[in-house]
Amino acid sequence: MWYRTKGRENDIAVSTRVRLARNLNGYPFDGRLTEEKAKEIIGNVWSVFDGKEGWTFTDFASLPTVERASYAERHIVSPDFAKKAGPCALISNEEKSVYIMVLEEDHLRIQAITAGFDLAGAVQAVTEAEQLLDGALDIAYSEKLGYLTHCPTNLGTGMRASVMLHLPAYTGAGGIRSLQNQLGKLGLTIRGMAGEGTAASGGLYQISNQITLGITEDETVSKLEDVIGQIIAKERELRGCISRESLDNLSDRVMRGMGVMMYATRIGSAELISLYSDVRLGAALNLLGLPTETLDEMLMRCMPNTICTEHEGVTTPADRDRARAAVVKEILGRANSAD
Amino acid sequence: MLCERCKKKEATFYYHENVNGNEKTYSLCSDCADELEKKGEFKKFGGFASELGPFESLFAGDPFEHMEALLSKQDLFGSLFAPTKTRQLAERIRAKKCPLCGMTLSDFAREGKAGCPTCYETFADELEPTIGRIHGRTAHSGRAPLKFREKNEMKNRIRVLEAEQKEAIRVENYERAAEIRDELRSLRGNA
Ligand SMILES: [Zn+2]
Ligand SMILES: [Zn+2]
Repeated sequence: MWYRTKGRENDIAVSTRVRLARNLNGYPFDGRLTEEKAKEIIGNVWSVFDGKEGWTFTDFASLPTVERASYAERHIVSPDFAKKAGPCALISNEEKSVYIMVLEEDHLRIQAITAGFDLAGAVQAVTEAEQLLDGALDIAYSEKLGYLTHCPTNLGTGMRASVMLHLPAYTGAGGIRSLQNQLGKLGLTIRGMAGEGTAASGGLYQISNQITLGITEDETVSKLEDVIGQIIAKERELRGCISRESLDNLSDRVMRGMGVMMYATRIGSAELISLYSDVRLGAALNLLGLPTETLDEMLMRCMPNTICTEHEGVTTPADRDRARAAVVKEILGRANSAD
Repeated sequence: MLCERCKKKEATFYYHENVNGNEKTYSLCSDCADELEKKGEFKKFGGFASELGPFESLFAGDPFEHMEALLSKQDLFGSLFAPTKTRQLAERIRAKKCPLCGMTLSDFAREGKAGCPTCYETFADELEPTIGRIHGRTAHSGRAPLKFREKNEMKNRIRVLEAEQKEAIRVENYERAAEIRDELRSLRGNA
């Protein structure tokens, strides 16, 4: 799982995702697909992986709702897939770095998630998975429009690459707005995770390509590499400009935050995300000896539905806040004793 | 960030549009977003303000997916039935049906998405302007499935050479430009 691994540029880049949209000739898309045909697709796709070492099949439709939502919270599947009615399946590799959603919006969504800033690694992983399918399945493609997808916005490469960045200094400096405009002109988008510019946003942003037709996979990746590299450098520069006094304040806030995380018996989700942002920045600035990936793991495992899935009997928000505090304590305790 | 319309309240909705490759992003507060939605100028999509708390909403929605739906549903299809088309032609287009999934063009316009991969072949001409508006281009460049690969590689090689040729001419390296011209000629001869 990506959030247990140290990644490139981890002080700023949280994770990288690349997904390919693929469809099969001869079958209608979602909405026009009968249950029988849907099951046929799932069977055909799984038959490619069945017997290959390391691949696991999950009948996603049969999972409880909270578990499906937990997959979405951790970015393993799309929110739409978590809510989808009718047959659908999830196929994953042994390292849990590649996931194939069968019968999401497209017949196939092949997705790779890696830690940190690693577009090359994620592209390689999805490409390898795709190669297993190519040849075995009749993939819908036209020379003119490239890979044919349910929605015309994905035509061409069918590839969406995105990197999640932690940009507290950029946010604090009020730079997100102009970034948004600049990226728009480049055919890229930035998406904030919560109320932009507020303390609760967590400073987390996802940057991805928007255009998929008439641009190659390599061109898309190198454009993102270049632009995100610049954003990371800028964030680092801004972090380097934090005054001594501000650093003192931040350090105090980070340590108080650690105190809350280590000893509080209930932690709300909004509270945790603001603690996460402060402490992650503190860890990246070496104000405390804590690996950033530990904090990312903490955040992922503290998502509401993930808490409910991993802890039996947790139903009310109060239960959840208690369970969350326990998870935080456990993860941080483990990291501290490892030092 | 403040709402771009009233410049008073915090912006919580984002609207992104792409017209002929011109991209614009608007940030609006929930009141302005509501108002514009009522007027039909804007369709809200799960952005930063949801009924959930900020943390829950963090990964709860994928605005990208909503945006895709938004982009395709916006009046991108307006041109399909432009008045310049004769009524007869328009009738014929309306009657066209995808042989595989039964989709008609008006289904496509309403749903904003294809009914099956064959739809793109069925409605190739009618969809071209729409696709051009979404992506700013209308032809694929990039990878291809195994059965198209050899042909595709040649196509990509030609594309690279054409760009190189342009550059060679720009820097007045006519010797190189001539070499490329010959290579292109032989490649096209084989194609
Ligand atoms: Zn407003
Ligand atoms: Zn069709």
